[in-house]
Amino acid sequence: MPRLELVAQLKGHNDRVWQVAWSPNGNMLATCSGDKTVRIWANTSHSDTSKWDCVDVLDGAHKRTIRSVAWAPNGKELATASFDSTTGVWEYEERDKEWECVATLEGHENETKSVAWSANGSLLATCSRDKSVWIWEVEADNDFECLSVLQEHSQDVKMVAWHPHEEVLASASYDDTIKIWREDDDDWYCSDTLQGHTSTIWAIDFDKTGEQIVSASDDTTMRFWKQYKPNNPEGVATPGNAPKWKNICTISGQHERCIYSVSWSKVHGRVASASGDNHIKVFTEESSAQAVNAPTWNISASVSDAHGVSDINSVSWFPTEKHSDWLASGGDDGLVNIWRYIDDDV
Amino acid sequence: MAQTLINANPTVYSPSKTSQRILTFEEQDDSFEDPIDAQEIFDLIRSISDPEHPLTLEQLNVTQCEHITVSDESSRVLVEFTPTIPHCSMATLIGLCIRVRLLRSLPDRFKVDIRVRNGTHQSENAVNKQLNDKERVAAALENDHLLEVVNQCLATAGLRGQDTPSP
Repeated sequence: MPRLELVAQLKGHNDRVWQVAWSPNGNMLATCSGDKTVRIWANTSHSDTSKWDCVDVLDGAHKRTIRSVAWAPNGKELATASFDSTTGVWEYEERDKEWECVATLEGHENETKSVAWSANGSLLATCSRDKSVWIWEVEADNDFECLSVLQEHSQDVKMVAWHPHEEVLASASYDDTIKIWREDDDDWYCSDTLQGHTSTIWAIDFDKTGEQIVSASDDTTMRFWKQYKPNNPEGVATPGNAPKWKNICTISGQHERCIYSVSWSKVHGRVASASGDNHIKVFTEESSAQAVNAPTWNISASVSDAHGVSDINSVSWFPTEKHSDWLASGGDDGLVNIWRYIDDDV
Repeated sequence: MAQTLINANPTVYSPSKTSQRILTFEEQDDSFEDPIDAQEIFDLIRSISDPEHPLTLEQLNVTQCEHITVSDESSRVLVEFTPTIPHCSMATLIGLCIRVRLLRSLPDRFKVDIRVRNGTHQSENAVNKQLNDKERVAAALENDHLLEVVNQCLATAGLRGQDTPSP
């Protein structure tokens, strides 16, 4: 049976850790916290994977909890979403060798909960308790123009995630739905609403192709959704000529409490989940050519008390081949853990 | 008070005689570890003040020991409370006070769920959802004004059912 082994434990935050995010090449890990800071960590020894240091602390820009942190695809900028309702954009100044807050995006009425860069870095999405999703265009000289304010969710929007290579956005909400947003002639519109969860959806992640989404909810289930394009061979109707998303698999009974985070590895395709029941679990898809419309996901590893008695708020797989078996996690205990997924049978 | 009270004339209940814990021999002995039970949770929250009246949640029958479920072994606590009236707009605030009190008093290992009792509030689901969303709770507690109101309600919580202020 595969297992997760603790590689390193990173101490520094003095409040709960809300999110962990690997830089695009995996050389750094950014973490954000209720202590109003972002910390940047790096594995500082080439031979010892357990040796990590906090190489930077980003502070001073936000007055309240930093809920979310996201790397620009070029790895040189970071965005932070805060309960102070603003989104910060940070740039690494080579000259001073430090991160500087170069822009503050204002507009949301209250807590900003998530921020994400589009695949090519030209767009930024933010969402808030004010029920809206904003799409921003990244312009020259750290200028950001709001292209669209999307107000179709009926409750808080918990998370936004971009398609891995197209300009398609997914948002997850306290209203128990996921919405898919597309652009048509400079106009952003909701092309689909994914219904099925029976409570707040805290997290979503695309697979590497962008054809599927996994979602994690307070209803203690995870759901897999697959996109059916117009004229699909399966005959799924696509009203409005936009792809239609269908729930093709549901994992239930694996977590006892709210699932706060889910990460779908773009390298090996495994899905990791983190929950208020103190467990981190890893799921593997059963390989079968017939199952594309009804896949089976099996539990392959589980850690109980992954952050002691604390809730686990975030998990994230290492983004590249180099250490694709690494998984980072952040919890209410203020700690960041690095795990290694070990499969002795391979 | 300028604003109209939500429930201007609440029914006041007197604490029942049996609601005080009778200490057993083992509970008085420090070498025994006492598991957290419903009575302990009730003692922690019974003397929280109502946001509207100079009365405790126990006096208003908002909290009752029988509506608390505890599993010390699996570190779970469920507190069900009864708003004084079904359209009580203070229900979320009362729930938040209970949550904060337990957050500050219980060992970290406890996972606490707080709900209004089935059928006692017209927006039951909305109130329950908000009270159990830790992100909403975390954000609420960063609001200085709200935190002050919560702290005021909690100022009497330490009485644990002793010498409750008289109506």
